[in-house]
Amino acid sequence: MGYEPQKDFGTPASRSEKTITLTIDGEKINVPEGTSVMRAAAEMDTHIPKLCATDNIKSFGSCRLCLVEIDDVRGTPASCTTPVANGMAVHTQTPKLQKLRKGVMELYISDHPLDCLTCSANNDCELQDEAAAVGLRDVRYGYEGENHLGLETDSSNPYFDFDPSKCIACSRCVRACDEVQGTYALTIEGRGFGSMVSAGTPIDDFMSSECVSCGACVQACPTATLQEKSVKEIGLPDKSVITTCAYCGVGCTFRAEMRGEQLVRMVPWKDGKANRGHSCVKGRFAWGYANHKERILNPMIRESIDQPWREVSWEEAFSHAASEIQRIQEKYGTRSVGGITSSRCTNEETFLVQKLIRAGFHNNNVDTCARVCHSPTGYGLKTTFGTSAGTQDFDSVEQSDVMLVIGANPTDAHPVFASRMKKRLREGAKLIVIDPRRIDLVRMPHVEAAHHLPLQPGTNVAVLTSLAHVIVTEGLVDEAFIRERCDWDEYQDWARFVSDESHSPEHLEAITKVPAEELRRAARLYATGGKSAIYYGLGVTEHSQGSSTVMAIANLAMATGNIGRPGVGVNPLRGQNNVQGACDMGSFPHELSGYRHVSDRATRKLFEDDWGVTLDPEPGLRIPNMLDAAVDGEFKALYVQGEDILQSDPNTKHVAAGLEAMECVIVHDLFLNETANYAHIFLPGSTFLEKDGTFTNAERRIQLVRKVMEPMNGLQDWEVTQELARAMGLDWNYAHPSQIMDEVARLTPTFAGVSFDRLGELGSIQWPANDATPDGTPVMHETGFVRGKGKFVVTDYVPTDEKTGPRFPLLLTTGRILSQYNVGAQTRRTENSRWHEEDILEMHPSDAENRGLKTGDWTNLASRSGETTLRLLVTDRVAPGVVYTTFHHPATQANVVTTEFSDWATNCPEYKVTAVQISPSNGPSDWQEDYEAHSERARRIEIPESAE
Amino acid sequence: MRIAISDDALAIACGADKLAEAFARAAPDAEIVRTSSWGMQWLEPLVDINGMGFGPATPGDVAAILDGGSDKAIGKIEDHPFIAKQQRLTFARAGKTQPLSLEDYTETGGWVALKKAYEIGPEATIGMVTESGLRGRGGAGFPAGIKWKTVAGAPGDQKYIVCNADEGDSGTFADRMLMEGDPYCLIEGMAIAGHAVGATKGYIYLRSEYPHAIRKMETAIKASAHLVSPFKLEVRVGAGAYVCGEETSLLNSLEGKRGEVRAKPPLPALEGLFGKPTVVNNVLTLAAVPNVLSEGAKAYADYGIGRSRGTMPVQLAGNIKQGGLYEIAFGITLGELVEEIGGGTESGRPIKAVQVGGPLGAYFPPSMFHLPFDYEAFTEAGGLIGHGGIVVFDDTADMLNQAHFAMEFCAVESCGKCTPCRIGAVRGQETLERIRAGGRGAGACEALPQMHNAKSSERSLEDEVVLLTDLCETMKFGSLCALGGFTPYPVMSALTHWPEDFGLEPAS
Amino acid sequence: MNSRDNLIYMANQIARNFATLDDAAAANAIAAHIVKYWDPRMRVKIIDSLEQNESKLLPVSRNAVAVLRDTHQSDAP
Repeated sequence: MGYEPQKDFGTPASRSEKTITLTIDGEKINVPEGTSVMRAAAEMDTHIPKLCATDNIKSFGSCRLCLVEIDDVRGTPASCTTPVANGMAVHTQTPKLQKLRKGVMELYISDHPLDCLTCSANNDCELQDEAAAVGLRDVRYGYEGENHLGLETDSSNPYFDFDPSKCIACSRCVRACDEVQGTYALTIEGRGFGSMVSAGTPIDDFMSSECVSCGACVQACPTATLQEKSVKEIGLPDKSVITTCAYCGVGCTFRAEMRGEQLVRMVPWKDGKANRGHSCVKGRFAWGYANHKERILNPMIRESIDQPWREVSWEEAFSHAASEIQRIQEKYGTRSVGGITSSRCTNEETFLVQKLIRAGFHNNNVDTCARVCHSPTGYGLKTTFGTSAGTQDFDSVEQSDVMLVIGANPTDAHPVFASRMKKRLREGAKLIVIDPRRIDLVRMPHVEAAHHLPLQPGTNVAVLTSLAHVIVTEGLVDEAFIRERCDWDEYQDWARFVSDESHSPEHLEAITKVPAEELRRAARLYATGGKSAIYYGLGVTEHSQGSSTVMAIANLAMATGNIGRPGVGVNPLRGQNNVQGACDMGSFPHELSGYRHVSDRATRKLFEDDWGVTLDPEPGLRIPNMLDAAVDGEFKALYVQGEDILQSDPNTKHVAAGLEAMECVIVHDLFLNETANYAHIFLPGSTFLEKDGTFTNAERRIQLVRKVMEPMNGLQDWEVTQELARAMGLDWNYAHPSQIMDEVARLTPTFAGVSFDRLGELGSIQWPANDATPDGTPVMHETGFVRGKGKFVVTDYVPTDEKTGPRFPLLLTTGRILSQYNVGAQTRRTENSRWHEEDILEMHPSDAENRGLKTGDWTNLASRSGETTLRLLVTDRVAPGVVYTTFHHPATQANVVTTEFSDWATNCPEYKVTAVQISPSNGPSDWQEDYEAHSERARRIEIPESAE
Repeated sequence: MRIAISDDALAIACGADKLAEAFARAAPDAEIVRTSSWGMQWLEPLVDINGMGFGPATPGDVAAILDGGSDKAIGKIEDHPFIAKQQRLTFARAGKTQPLSLEDYTETGGWVALKKAYEIGPEATIGMVTESGLRGRGGAGFPAGIKWKTVAGAPGDQKYIVCNADEGDSGTFADRMLMEGDPYCLIEGMAIAGHAVGATKGYIYLRSEYPHAIRKMETAIKASAHLVSPFKLEVRVGAGAYVCGEETSLLNSLEGKRGEVRAKPPLPALEGLFGKPTVVNNVLTLAAVPNVLSEGAKAYADYGIGRSRGTMPVQLAGNIKQGGLYEIAFGITLGELVEEIGGGTESGRPIKAVQVGGPLGAYFPPSMFHLPFDYEAFTEAGGLIGHGGIVVFDDTADMLNQAHFAMEFCAVESCGKCTPCRIGAVRGQETLERIRAGGRGAGACEALPQMHNAKSSERSLEDEVVLLTDLCETMKFGSLCALGGFTPYPVMSALTHWPEDFGLEPAS
Repeated sequence: MNSRDNLIYMANQIARNFATLDDAAAANAIAAHIVKYWDPRMRVKIIDSLEQNESKLLPVSRNAVAVLRDTHQSDAP
C-alpha cells in the first residue's frame, strides 16, 4: 500500500450522545451534537478548503478559507467554528465562496516563496493543496509587496527546522503546543502583518526555549515551516507501517514512514488508543540509535573478560553458549544457571527466554527488570485486588475529578500521558502531588496542584496511613462500596488500625515533615472531590516498604469506592515499553505466565503437557539473589537479554563482584553495555524496527510491533533465543512470532482471546481477553475484584534502615528526565544528549551554602556503598536535607552510591533513599577513573585478519 | 460667586487649569468649582458663572469676565441653541455637577435607578431595558435587553459585567466625557446590570490613552463601593490596541492574553471572560440604563424612530465649526447635524465628505445629508452609525488618501489573526498606491521566464480598481471581525462617491 | 554483608512488616512468604541459621523459620 497521509477531519470529534441531522450540498447526514460543519462535511468525504484547522486542536477561525453559505444565515460563516444544527442546509461550493476563497489564497501566495518544486514539503503541503483546490491562477498583487521571505531558518533543534519565511501564521503550532502538549512554549510575537511564531522571548530559539521537542507543532504545521530534518535530507516517505514505540510504558503507536527500507520519520498514529496522536521527543525523533556506529552486528566470544572480543559466526556463538551452560550445570548443579528477560523486547521474545530457562535450563531462575521497578506493584495489587496490573485505561483520566500523583514525575517519565493529565487539569480537575521534590507538575503553565505534600524520603507508608486516618475518622469512607465489594472484617481491622491516634497527621508530622493541616485537606479532597484516581511510580515502589505502599494505596482506593469505573482507579505508571508484558509472560522466578505460582500443580501440568518437559515446582532466584549466589560461588552462568544490570541495578560494586564471579555471562543486546564488560559471549540484538511481535503498555494494552526493516544483525531477537534453544537440544520451530502468541494464548487464560489476527482487527487489546470479554477489558474490577473480595491489608510504617547520620547527613533520591531514557543506552546515542549531556545533582541552597558550593561545581557524592562525582545545580525544588540526581549516564555511576536495601516482599531496590554526603571535588572519583579504564579494556574488539 | 470651569481632558488641554488658577488669584472669595464639560468644545475652556457662559476663555479674559464686559460672553448656557435643542438623557449632568461629588450625584437623581432595580428584581429590570429598545451604543447596535437576558439565563457559578471603555474610534469622545464627567452614572448602570444578570463582578476596560478617565473612575469606584456592594468593580487599563475595542479581543486582553479576536460561537454572553457568561456593553449603553430605570422604559422608547429608540450622544468633530457632544433622539438628519448644529466647516470651505462611525465608517457626500440618524437607514445606505462619531472634511480632502488611510489604519491595528485583514490591509495600501500611479507594469519576479504562469503584461488603472474592489469583498465577507470586515466601508464609499479622486470618470 | 547475613536480614525485614499480626499468625505469614518466593538453597540456608542458633534472627523470625522447617520441607538443590 502506498503512502496515505492520515485523514484530518478539521475539528475534534464531539462526545455528545445526541444526534443532529443536517444537509450538506443536498446530502443528509447525522452527526453528534457539537460537531462542526467542517467535520460533518469531512465525515461524508466533502473537503472544505482549510488551513488553520486540524482535528486534534480546537477550531480557531483564522484562515477564512473554510467559509460556507447556510440557508437563512447571513453572510459566509466559517465552517470550522459553526456547530451543526437540526435542519441546517449548508452549501460548500458556490460562485461567491469560490471567489472569496481565491481572494484569500491570492493574499497568502502574495507573501510566500514560489519554489514549491524544490521544497521539502512538495506534495506534503496543505497550502499547496488548497491553492490547487481553489483554482488560483493569478496573483494580481504581484510579488514585490511587503513580505516575510527574508526571515532566517532556526535550525537549533537537532530534529526539526523552523523556517519562518514559509509561515502562514495559522497558529496551529502554537495551539498544538498549548492544547495537545500543554507546554505553552510557543506564541505569536507582534501583531498584524508582523505576526510571527516565536519560541518564547524574542531572543529565544527553539533549543533555548521551553520547547520539549515533542513534535506536535511539526505535525500540526501545514507547510514546510516546521519540518523534520530527516524529510529534508531523505525526501518524503513512500509507505507507512503502524508500530509501537520501544521507550516507555505509555506505548505510543506510530506510523513508521519509510522510503524503501529507510525510516524517514515516526509520526504519531491518530487512532493509537494510548497516545491518541501525540508523542514525545524520544519516540518521535530518537530512533537513530538503530544505525549508530557503536551498534554491534556480529556475535563475539572471549575466554575471559580481560581479553578482547573475537567476532564469530552465529553458529559458533550458539554452540559455545549451549556447551558452556551444559558444562556449568554439570559441574555446579542445575540451579547454577539462569537468565534475565528484557522489558524492552517483545512479549513473544520474553516468553521464549523464560521458556528456554524453564524447559531448557530446567529451573526457575528467571527474572526481569521489573524486579527493580514495579515488582511491588505485582505483589501489592495481586494481594489486594487479585491482578498484578493497573485498573484503568489512559482514557479514564478524562473523567477524573481528582488526581493523586505519588512518587511519579509524569511530565518527565510518561510525557504523553502527562499531557493528557494536564488537559484534564486545565478543564478543572484537581491535583494532589506527594513527592519530596517539587516536580514540574506541581506548578506549570495553567496547572497548579491543589496540594503538594513534600514528604521526607522513605515515609510513604506513614503519609498514606495518615491520609487513611483522616478519611476514616472524619467519616469519609464509602461504606456501601466496602460492604459490597470487600471483606468487612478485614476492613474493620484496618480501620481500627489507621484510626489510632498515633497515626494522625499531627502525630506523624515529625516523621513525614508534611504539615498536618495540608495533609488533612488533601485527604478530604481525595475522598470527597468526585472521581478520584491515583497515579504512582517508582517513588512508591523503590523503597524498603514498596509493596506495603502499593497496598496502602489500594486500601485508600477501596475505602473511598474509587475502583471499578472510568475516572478512578489505581494506576501504576509502568516504566518500560514492555515491562508489563514481560511480567505477564512469566518472567518472575515464582510465577508462570498470567501470574500463576510455579507450585500450582494444575498450572504446571498445562505447561508440561504442551512443552513435553517436567517443570521445577520451586521458586527460582531473583536478580539480587542471583548475584548473592554468584558471590557465594553457587551461581555461575547468566543469559541477559536487553538489560544492563551493571548500570541500572543498585550497589554497583556488588553487581560487578557477582558478575565477575560467574564463568559464563551471555549478553544479548544492541550495544556493548556496562554488563558486557563482564561478559564472555555477546549476541547482537535487534531493534523494535527490525522485528514483529507485541508490546504491552501500562494499560495492559497489547499492541503490535511491526517489522519495517531487516535486522542489521541478521536475526530478530526471538530467532536468536530459538537458535540458542535449538543448540541446547530443544526442538523449537517457530516460523513467526504470531505462533508464539498463539502458544501464550493457549496456556494463559487471561490471554485466551489474543492473537495477531485479532490485534490487527481491533488495533489493540487490553487483557484480560477471553470468552467473557472477547474484545478486552479497559476498566477492571467493575463488578467484583478478580480475587473476589478486595482485601484490606494493614500496613504499618517500618522506617528504612537507611539512616542519615553525621557521616552521611543528606538523603539522595533519584529519577528521570524527559530526553534521556533510563540507562540511556538508546537515547545517549541520538541527538537527545544535547538536552542532557550529563547527570546533574540537585541540592537546596541552604545545604549548598553550608558546603561552599554553587551551581556548576564538581561535587563528590558519597555513601557507605561508594562514591562518584557530579556537577551541581542549586535549586529549591528539593527540600533542605534532600538531594536528587538522574542515572542516565554510565560515566556518572549513580548506582555506585545506592545501597543493598530493598523492598521486604520483592527485593525491589531502595533507590529512592540513600544516606549521602556531598563535598567539593576536583574531578572524577577513583572508582570512576578505574571503571573508565576497565571499560575501555573490556570493550576492545579484535580486528579479524582479512581473508584473502 | 460660583465660577465653574470644566476639568475635562479637552478643556485642560485648552488651558482650563491655568484659567482656573487665574480666576482663583483674581477672585479669592469666589467658589471655584471644577465641573464636567458642557460638551461645547469649540468654546472650551468655558467659564460658567451662575449659568452664564464665557468662552473660549484665556487668563487674559479673566478681568473682563469678572467685570461683566467680556466679548467671550455667550449668554445663558442652557439657552444656547447647541444645548437647548439637545435631549440629554445620558448626559443630563454634563456641565452641571462635580464629577466625583457623591452629593452632587445623589442630589441630581443618583442611585434612584439602582434602588428601583433592587425593588423590582432582576427579571423586571431586564424587561424594562428590553422595552426601552436600548441597543448597544458601541456600534453593533444589538438590543441590550436580549443580551442581558441571555446572560441571566446562562448556567454559571460566576458571571461578569464588562464595560468596553476602549473608545478607539478617531473623532469620538463621548465615553471619555461620560467617565470623566459623570463616573457614578456608569457605576450605577453597571451595578444595575450586575443585579439583573447575577454578576457580582464588573470590569471597566479603559484605554491607556485616557489617564484622566482612569484616575477618575478609580476614585469614583472607591468612593461608591459601599453603595453598590456586593457588586465589585475594577478598572483594567488597555495597552494601545484599537482591536481590543472588539469585544472578544477585549476579553482576551482582560485575561492577560494576546488581544486576538475569538471566533463566535461561543458568544461572550454564554462563554465570555474566563469562560463565564459575560455582558459586554459600551460605556454609553450602560450609562443610559439609570435613566431607563428611573424615568421608565416607555419614556426612553418614546424618543427615536423605527427600531432606533432613545437618544444617541453624537460626537461632532473634524473640520467643523461647532464641535462637541450633541445628544439627540434618533431621526435627526445628517445634514442638520453637520450644517445647522455643527455650523459647517471650521475652515469655511465647502464640505466634501463626512465620515460617520469612526475610521471604519463610510464617507457620505452632501448629497446624502438627508439620511436620518437610524441604524437601519445608515446600513441600507452602505454605512454605519457606529459609536456616533462624525468627522467632517472640506474640499481639500483627497479621498484616495482617505481610502489609503483606512487600509493603513487597518494594517497598523490588525491583530493579525485572520488572513483577509492581516495581509489584505497591507495589500490594500499597495494597491491604492498603484492606483495613484495609474497602474503598474510587470514586477521583476513576474517578468522572469521561470515564472511561466505569471502575467507579465501591464495592469491598468481599471485592473487595479477591480482588484481593490475584489479585495474589499474578500475583507468584508472573509474577515473574522469588524476591523477587517468594515475597512471596505470607507474605501468603497470613497471610490463610489469620488471616483475622480481615483483617476476615474466621475459618476454621472 | 555476606549472603548468610543477608538472608537473616531479609527474614527479619519480612518479620517487621508482619508486626501487626499476633505471633502465631506472623510466623505463619512469614513462613508462607518464604516458601512462595525464596529458592530452595536460600531456604536451606536460613533453616541452617536457625539450627546454628544464629543470634541475629529475631524471635518471631525464629518461629517462622521453625514453621518453615517443620511444615514446608524443601528439597536440596
